[in-house]
Formats: sequence, structure tokens, C-alpha cells
Amino acid sequence: MSLTLSLQLLVNGLVFGGLLGLVALGLALIFGVMRVVNFAHGEFITLGAYATYLLVTRLAVSPLLGIPLAFGLGALLGWLIQMAVMARVTSRPELEVLMVTYALSVVGLGLFAQAFGGDFRSYAEGPSGNLSLGGVVVGWRSLTVLISCLVMGAATLLLIQRARIGLGLRAIAQNRDAAATCGVNVLASERVAFSLAVGLAAAAGALVSLIGTTMPTVGHEWVLDGFVVVVLGGMGSISGALAASLALGLIHSFASYVMDDSWARILTYLLLYITILVRPHGLLGRRVEA
Amino acid sequence: MPMAGTPRTPRSTWLGVLSTVALAALAAALPWLGVSSYLRTLVYYAAYYLALGQAWNLMSGLTGYVSFAHGALAGIGAYAAVIALNAGWPMAAALGAAVAVTGLASLVIGATSLRLHGTAFTFATLFFQELVLLVLRKLPFTGGPGGMVLQEILPVWLPYVMMMAVAAGATIAMALVRRSRVGVRVLAIKNDEAAAAAVGIDSTRLKLALFCASAGIAGLVGAVHGIFAASLYPDVLFSVDISLVALAVPLIGGVATVSGPLAGAILYVGLREVLQVIAPALHLTIVGLLLLAVVLFMREGIVVALARIVTRRRPRMTPAALGAGRGD
Amino acid sequence: MTVLRAEGLHKRFSGVIAVKDVDLSVAEGELLGLFGPNGAGKTTVFNLIAGAFYPDEGRIRLNDEDITRLPAFRRARLGIGRTFQVVRPFRTLSVLENVLATVPSDDATARHDAETAFELLSQVGLAERAHDPAGELTLGMLKRLEVARALALSPRLLLLDEPIAGLTTREAGELLKFIRSLKARTSVVMVEHNVRLALPICDRAVVMDAGMVIAEGAPAEIRVHPEVVRAYLGEAAE
Repeated sequence: MSLTLSLQLLVNGLVFGGLLGLVALGLALIFGVMRVVNFAHGEFITLGAYATYLLVTRLAVSPLLGIPLAFGLGALLGWLIQMAVMARVTSRPELEVLMVTYALSVVGLGLFAQAFGGDFRSYAEGPSGNLSLGGVVVGWRSLTVLISCLVMGAATLLLIQRARIGLGLRAIAQNRDAAATCGVNVLASERVAFSLAVGLAAAAGALVSLIGTTMPTVGHEWVLDGFVVVVLGGMGSISGALAASLALGLIHSFASYVMDDSWARILTYLLLYITILVRPHGLLGRRVEA
Repeated sequence: MPMAGTPRTPRSTWLGVLSTVALAALAAALPWLGVSSYLRTLVYYAAYYLALGQAWNLMSGLTGYVSFAHGALAGIGAYAAVIALNAGWPMAAALGAAVAVTGLASLVIGATSLRLHGTAFTFATLFFQELVLLVLRKLPFTGGPGGMVLQEILPVWLPYVMMMAVAAGATIAMALVRRSRVGVRVLAIKNDEAAAAAVGIDSTRLKLALFCASAGIAGLVGAVHGIFAASLYPDVLFSVDISLVALAVPLIGGVATVSGPLAGAILYVGLREVLQVIAPALHLTIVGLLLLAVVLFMREGIVVALARIVTRRRPRMTPAALGAGRGD
Repeated sequence: MTVLRAEGLHKRFSGVIAVKDVDLSVAEGELLGLFGPNGAGKTTVFNLIAGAFYPDEGRIRLNDEDITRLPAFRRARLGIGRTFQVVRPFRTLSVLENVLATVPSDDATARHDAETAFELLSQVGLAERAHDPAGELTLGMLKRLEVARALALSPRLLLLDEPIAGLTTREAGELLKFIRSLKARTSVVMVEHNVRLALPICDRAVVMDAGMVIAEGAPAEIRVHPEVVRAYLGEAAE
């Protein structure tokens, strides 16, 4: 394999891994803070994709502006959903909480299918053309995606690590009751976490609409990989999820060159099964005592 | 429908079994009673959803470990049966093959993931669904993405009657398990797995046994439906839709109960028919909303909620049949 | 005859040594009290014996059988019954079903039917509530239910984790009297905070502090043991 080809695949892997990381970040955030697996995450991605599509094709808004707008829409929706639905089920058994997010995903999927039908949507507006760096060709759209992911990811991490609200989130993730007794407003923090995560998902959706085609199941495809990555990286571990995203992105890119797409995915799932069997708490996560 | 606490006499159970058999026999006789083909199809689908729902209920309803794999399991059963029949196997053997293959598959998934937290199991079933879809598109003997066709032309009433039998069998199985000591122990696990271990319950083995039984039934249901449909397309067969039906039917009707899936199945068939006329694409949305409404506001399912309204009982502080309080 | 022998138990939880080199033995028909201030490690020792987790070092023997690495449900079937500090009933099951859910040790299987379950419920005074959902009972009743549930195992060793915590003085007195009566059919290890009420019914007491055993002996000795006084009341009390 030539160096140019390797670098090309590397860049492709980074783009894919970056986008995946954005998705996984949201999932890990929700699981870490609320101990909830958000099965509706994919539908929020789809929402961002369709919202951007509409903004671009109906209102002639630049796709680049669509990204923050999608984020805002997602954050707002996340806020409302957390208040109206999620907050009601915090102390319910796992089965019920799971069913709630699953039901939301079904509703979302249904609405998208109803509103947009099964066609593939895409648009030509936005960055175009390629950047050529010594034989390696990167589309400007892909580059935009990569940069956006890095920026949003970095901003989120900064928030979690440095901001006061982030401290609260980390405290809750470690020990909910202790955090509450230390004066952390658990309810408000959950709302922030959920809203932020959904916003990130919608923003990811905007990016997906930029480099791919949009259809009702587009988010579902991405969130499956997102789950793979979150499980591999250790449920709730953000650094684990990001590392696994990068790894999966690169593996996927290189594997797709060697074998066709389906086999690559089969390989991924098999790898995942082995991981669940051998290290149920993910590759990087910590064991939790019974 | 007895709720937790009321003693279940052996007599009430046998009464239930007999009435299930009677109902199934009546339904099976419909083709010869001059009932319209349209109505027969409705009854068929009600039985199909009922059977699938009971299979899911047997595992996920009782243990609280949510499975998203039942669509894939039913699909595997369909393929196994059709392949066997196309290869000349007799019907009983083909159906047996379907059960064996799905049972084996569930053993593999279950043995690896049931030792772990419920979420790990749910993910394992989710990925299984995807994996199976991918693999089936690739395998040479399954016809690829184009699917495969049942070569033999069978009389229409055959799969119809078989489905009635399977639905009755699944319901009876659920009733027998639910009302046995095994049922008590599984519900104990659902309530508090650690406390269950403290009283000697081997939860891993019990969960695995139920999952295999549940998968076997799902495989059988899939096999019969595959024969009914006579042509299998992987994307239709393994679509997430089927796994959705498998869980929505018991959840909406009343999870972990015997009659809940029956109510859920009838409701689902009716809903599908109504929506077909009004707004076909809204199907998913409405089911999702119903599911949401039930989980949020009618945790014990529609059957119990309606029973309360009808008999005007004030809801006791009884914890939901669905619910399993978190251990303190 | 020794029913339980634990030797050299050592357990740490990521940085904190909860139990350090602890030996414990229980004789047949003995009621052993396990005391100590908060964080002494009593519940950890308790959980190690019950099988909630495994020790980093040490051995646990039940009637000469090494159970150190056996999972909890196996220990239950071998005859170790336990109750929980914070009650853990099967809330959606009836009171009777809570007892019937138990999987007794092999020799008792034949007799484990509704009749014997009812009998156990009568012994703890819950017979009239047999068909009510467990979720409806008061704390005092739930504590008694847990004892009945553990007794359904026909246990050789009964582990009681703070059985009278949260009960009124009268309820506590009655339950302790009942626990004392259990000596005839099983050995008992009881972890308790309320030394005043619990110590008098014990045959022997073990006191822990900071993960180690600091005193062991008859109740009368323990009451005046200097280490014990210091552990509970601090230096100034001496």
C-alpha cells in the first residue's frame, strides 16, 4: 500500500471517526449522567439532517449556518423532551426507561417517513471541490465536517472539564446521591446534559446531510455505530467513546478498502460480541461492583 | 385477569387453557365456516402478532431484559423452514429445524450476554438483529438480497391452521410458566436480582432457559409465517418493524400477563386496518405514541387500565405488573 | 461443631482497605453478634460470607466445604440465608410468593410447598397478609418477611444485616426475641448497630474497627473491653 493511499484512507478514517465521535459523545454524556441509553439518538441526528436540508433548499440558508441552527433546534427539543418525558421516568426500572426512548425513536422515525417519504435527499449548496495536499485529495465538505467535529467536540470537553456545570455533570456521573448532597442541582444538570447531547446529535445530522444523503433511517445507521463505540469504550466513559470512535473510523476506512462494506460491518459486530463477552465493561471502562 | 397476590388455583389455569384451545379451534375452523377471506386474513394476523408477542413476553416481559432480536429470530425460523422444505424435508422436520436453529442462536447470544447487566443483553440483541441481516444477504444458500421463494404450493389453510395452533401453544406456555414456581422465581429476578440470588435462584440459568424457549417459539412463528407468505425478502423479514411488533403487542396490552398480548394483538390488527385507510404512513408514529402513552401513564397495560375504568376500582398503591422496583 | 470458618479475609475497594486479615468462626447453634462503629467493615465481612463479592485473600469454609469462590445463589442452596440492611422484598409478588420463590437446599425440596411457606409466615406473624403484594407492607413487616424468606432455605447459617434498624422499640424487642428462638434450628450471625438491645441476646460477640477485629468474647467481657469503648466513644471516654 503506497503512502499516498494510506494517508488518503487515514484522512477518510478521521472524518468518519470524527463524526462518529460527535455522536458517541452525546450518547456517552446521556448515559454517564442519567444512566439512560438513548435509543432515540438516531432520530435526533435525522432531525438535524432534515432541518438543514430544509433550511438549505427552502430558505437558501448556507449549510455552514445550518450546523449551529441544527444544534440550537436539537438543544431546544432536548430540553423540552427531558422536561416532559425523561424527567418522569428517572426512578423507574430500566425496562421502562428503555421503552420510553425506544418509543420516541419509533415516533420520530414514523414522522420522518410520513413527512419526507423514503427518497434520498441531498443538496449541492455549501463547500465544494477538493483540497489537494501532495497527492492526498480531501473534499472541502469532508474537511468542513472534520473541523466542525473537532471544534464542537473540543468545546464540549472544555465545558465538561472546566466549567462549573461540567463539574456538576462529572460529579453526578460518579455518584448521583453524593452530588445532590453537595448542592449540585441534579435535575437541572440532567436537563443540560440531555439538551446538550441532543444538540450535538442534531449538529451531527447537519454534517451528515452535508456529506451524505438524507433519508428517514440515516440517523439510525449512525447511532448503531455510535452504540458500538460507546460499548467498546466503556459505557459512560467519554474518553473511551472518543478513542473507540477514532479507532473504528480508521478500521472502517482501511477495512472498506480491503473487503466490501458489508463484511467490514460484520467484522465489527463480531468484534463487539467478543468484547462484550471478554470485557463487558468495554475496553477502557472500569468494572462496577455488584 | 389475576394480578400479583391473588392465588391462582390450578382450576383457573386449566379453565384458561381450555378456553384458549377452544378459541383457537374456532378460529382454525373459520375457513370452512364460510367466513370471508378478508376476515380470515385479519384473524390470521391477530394470531401471528399474538404468538410473536407471547414469545417476547415469555422472555422480556417476565425477566425485564428487553430483546430487540425477536424479529431476527422469527426471520431465521422462516428461512430455516423454507430452505428445509425446498430441500424436500417433511413439514414437521422443517418446523423442527426452524426451532433448532433459533434455539441454538439464542443459546449463543444468551450464554454470552445474559450473565451481564440488562443493558448489555439489549445491545447484544440489537447487534444480533443487524448482524443477521448483513449475513443473510451474503450467504449463498439464502438467495441474497433478492430473497427466496417456497417452491412447493401448499393449501392456504395449512399455514393458517398452524398459526392458530402456535398462537394457542404460545399462550398456554406463557400461562403455565407465569403460574408456576418458575414464574414466581423469574418475577423475583425481575424485581431484585441480588435478592433473588440470596434465596438460591440461579438467575443466569433461568434467564437463559426462558430466552431459548422464547426464541424457539419465535422461530416457529417465523417459520409458519414464512410458509404463509411463501416468498421471503431479507429486508422485509428482518426489518425492525417485526421486532417492534413483538414488543409493542405485549407492552400495550399488558406486559408479563397472559391476556395482555391477546388484547394487544387485536388492537394492533384493528389499528393497522384503520390506518391503512386513513393514513398508512402514520402507522409507526401512532404505534410509537401508544407505546409512549402506555409506558408513561398506563404501566400495567391497556387491559388493566380499562378494567379499572370499567369496574371503577380506585387504583391501589399496587406496584405495576410491569414494574420492578429498583433494589434499594 | 463449627458451621462457618473464615480465615485471613482481606478485601479492598480501589484504594480503601475495608477488611484486613479477619478471622471469624461460628459454632453450631451459636448466635454471634458482629458489632463496630460505622465503616468498621462489618457489612463487608457479612457480604463476603454471603457471596455478594469475593475476598482478595482468605478462605471461607461452610462445614469444611470451601465456599470462597462460590456465587451467592450456590451458598444459599448450601444453607446460608441472609437478610439485607435495606430491605429488598420482591415487591410485585405476594407475601406468600416471596417465600415460595426461595430455592431450598436439596434435602428440603420435597417439603417446600405452600403449606410450609404458610407455616413460616405464621411464625413471623404475617400469615394474614399472605396474599397481599409485598410492596404494601410496612418496614417492620418487610423485615420479618425477609427473615421468613431466608428461613425457607432451611439454612444452617442465618446472616442478619441490621435486623432491627428502623423498627420501634417494641417491634425490635419482638424480633430479637424471635431471632433468639431461631438458635434451635440454625446458627446466626447478626450485624447490628444497636448494641444495647442486641448484645444481650448474643452468645458471643465480635467487635470490629477500621477493618480489623479488635475484640471477641462473651457479651459481659465485650461491654467493658477497653478497645471497644475506645472504638465507639473515642479517646476521651477512657
